[in-house]
Amino acid sequence: MKHFKYILNPRCGNGQTAEKICGCVSNLLRCTRTCRTRTRLECCLRRQLARFSNTAAESLLPGYFARMNVGVAHSEVNPNTRVMNSRGIWLAYLLLTTALHVVLLSIPFLSVPVVWTLTNVIHNLAMYLFLHTVKGTPFETPDQGKARLLTHWEQMDYGVQFTASRKFLTISPIVLYILASFYTKYDTTHFLVNTGSLLSVLLPKLPQFHGVRLFGINKY
Amino acid sequence: MVHLFMNPFEKRITNSFEEAPMYVAVLTYMGYGIVILFGYFRDFLRAVGFEKCHQAQEREEQKDFVPLYQDFENFYKRNLYTRVRDNWNRPICSLPGPVFDIMERVSDDYNWTFRLTGRTIENVINMGSYNYLGFAENNVDFLKTVAEETRQYGVGVCSTRQELGNLSIHEKLERLVAEFLGVESAMAFGMGFATNSMNIPALVGKGCLILSDELNHTSLILGARLSGATIRVFKHNNMQSLEKMLKETICSGQPRTHRAWKKILIMVEGIYSMEGSLVRLPEILVLKKKYKAYLYLDEAHSIGAVGPTGRGVTEHFGVDPNEVDVLMGTFTKSFGAAGGYIAGKKELVDYLRSHSHSAVYATAMSPPVVEQIIRAIKCIMGVDGTTEGQRRVRQLAENTRYLRSRLKEMGFIIYGNQDSPVVPLLLYLPGKVGAFSRAMLKRKIGVVVVGFPATPITEARARFCVSAAHTREMLDKVLQSLDELGDYIKVKFSRHRSSYRPELYDETDFELDS
Repeated sequence: MKHFKYILNPRCGNGQTAEKICGCVSNLLRCTRTCRTRTRLECCLRRQLARFSNTAAESLLPGYFARMNVGVAHSEVNPNTRVMNSRGIWLAYLLLTTALHVVLLSIPFLSVPVVWTLTNVIHNLAMYLFLHTVKGTPFETPDQGKARLLTHWEQMDYGVQFTASRKFLTISPIVLYILASFYTKYDTTHFLVNTGSLLSVLLPKLPQFHGVRLFGINKY
Repeated sequence: MVHLFMNPFEKRITNSFEEAPMYVAVLTYMGYGIVILFGYFRDFLRAVGFEKCHQAQEREEQKDFVPLYQDFENFYKRNLYTRVRDNWNRPICSLPGPVFDIMERVSDDYNWTFRLTGRTIENVINMGSYNYLGFAENNVDFLKTVAEETRQYGVGVCSTRQELGNLSIHEKLERLVAEFLGVESAMAFGMGFATNSMNIPALVGKGCLILSDELNHTSLILGARLSGATIRVFKHNNMQSLEKMLKETICSGQPRTHRAWKKILIMVEGIYSMEGSLVRLPEILVLKKKYKAYLYLDEAHSIGAVGPTGRGVTEHFGVDPNEVDVLMGTFTKSFGAAGGYIAGKKELVDYLRSHSHSAVYATAMSPPVVEQIIRAIKCIMGVDGTTEGQRRVRQLAENTRYLRSRLKEMGFIIYGNQDSPVVPLLLYLPGKVGAFSRAMLKRKIGVVVVGFPATPITEARARFCVSAAHTREMLDKVLQSLDELGDYIKVKFSRHRSSYRPELYDETDFELDS
């Protein structure tokens, strides 16, 4: 089985010290499914780090020991990590995409295939901008700048891969792509544009690309 | 986990955290989205030069070096907080009793700078101070005693408890606190925050386990960090989560060696000040005994404020205070003074007297403050010969019940237990937070509002702290203003409908109104 650099959350609560890191997908799924309970147990994060020397993961060690949060009502070090799990945000995101599509449909001189391609492209552009370009947090966090060089996607759930929100945000551009392909009747130009746009938004979401900055773009 | 309580006790132990309808959450995100978009737009205008930039900026010649200021980290502060900044840090010019005077200030440049007009807004009802028993007052009897003691002992001690700072008044206070709580012995410290952060390292260390609640206060978290123990966080007030965690950690042992833990300490608070929820003390005691752990109870907000005679959550639940291993509390909230205490068995407190960082390094409490606490405790206990203390405790309970039940009737979403004097009223949307606070000030009521990132993103709230010094008229005025404002701003999201005849109201009886 391939060795994947999964970053296991030390905060999963099912009692498993996920020892088989490579290929142990069921273990991983159990780990991430119960991670949303936010209980802490020592997984072998440090062992993983020693084995894979994943520097991005090292910078994500927060939350293992409680941090000092002055003047806040919770012990969450970086509130940005929990935003995508909050109640109603998936619905808000879907409504926003639908609203974008409806607005584009109302423009009289655009045909339906063009509108769908435009929706796809604008949606992917916005997603790329907000999730994969903007780094750090818009407020000061007590984690001493650990998340300053991380995009929002990398900050989500403190770097745990395959959580529910991550799966949702990966699947939704794919669904939009399928719909756009159907409505553009698989025309070549539209296909190229849509596929390029989809790839630009799917590649950064792969766990292999966690913390990767190609050609030094957006590094600091 | 066995469900321990039948219907009559259910209300005393349950905390309600009602969820708003989904459209409210969606609108909240829309609100934040719009503010963020406008924030980017305004940042663009500032960068281009159309708009004046009020923030600190580097000089031109320094721009090529590593940046001094993190622009993006101040995004929220610049574009959201500053726009509603006039609702916090309002200067007051009287003591913060049930009513106080606020100095009027206006801003000419949208809250970047403020200017005092010279006028005072008088008799603003204070719904924000932790003045639970109303001891924040200019009471001549108290102050006479305090003045006498100051003349005798001086204003400050200038020494630690262990060196030259142990005055007889300190010992008097500690005996009194122990008697008040019903435990063997107690020790007092000069600062409430420092009581937690300096004493937890003395109690636990490396090789010990701390199980702390999700919403514990910063002082508890700092003390736990400083101690070097392993910390695990369980979900707020969730006994299943706590039990599961106890089982797992006891089975797996210390981090690398898997040896048995030296000590397991469960850290909870009596009342959580942002949620208004009470700890589920009887269930924690059952778990504690079963898994042989120790309990550290931080009663900062609950001492003096709950319980029939003001003894705290232990009395509220009818639990023997000797069952809790470490009772901690502060004198800041209900006693109108400053400082904190730790109480428990005599061996524990004697150990702390020599090993606590506060006893060794921190200055001892100041005598006038100690005397104020002594007077306040004597008043509550009734030792000074009056029933004033009991009247205050009963008045607080009455005010709490009244405010909470009326707010629920009106249709607001209130968090927490029905007996807690901390009443968070949920506002949800960021725009409503600012509007609510300003409108309440216009009606001469001072409230505290909190938003993201101090609370979860969808749960911005206004927090009311009921006081025994509030009269029924004041509460009625507050309730009437809330009623009008709630309809105008539309924050009445509660979907529970309660009958106006409380004694006949029973959720399971459907054949009621025939």
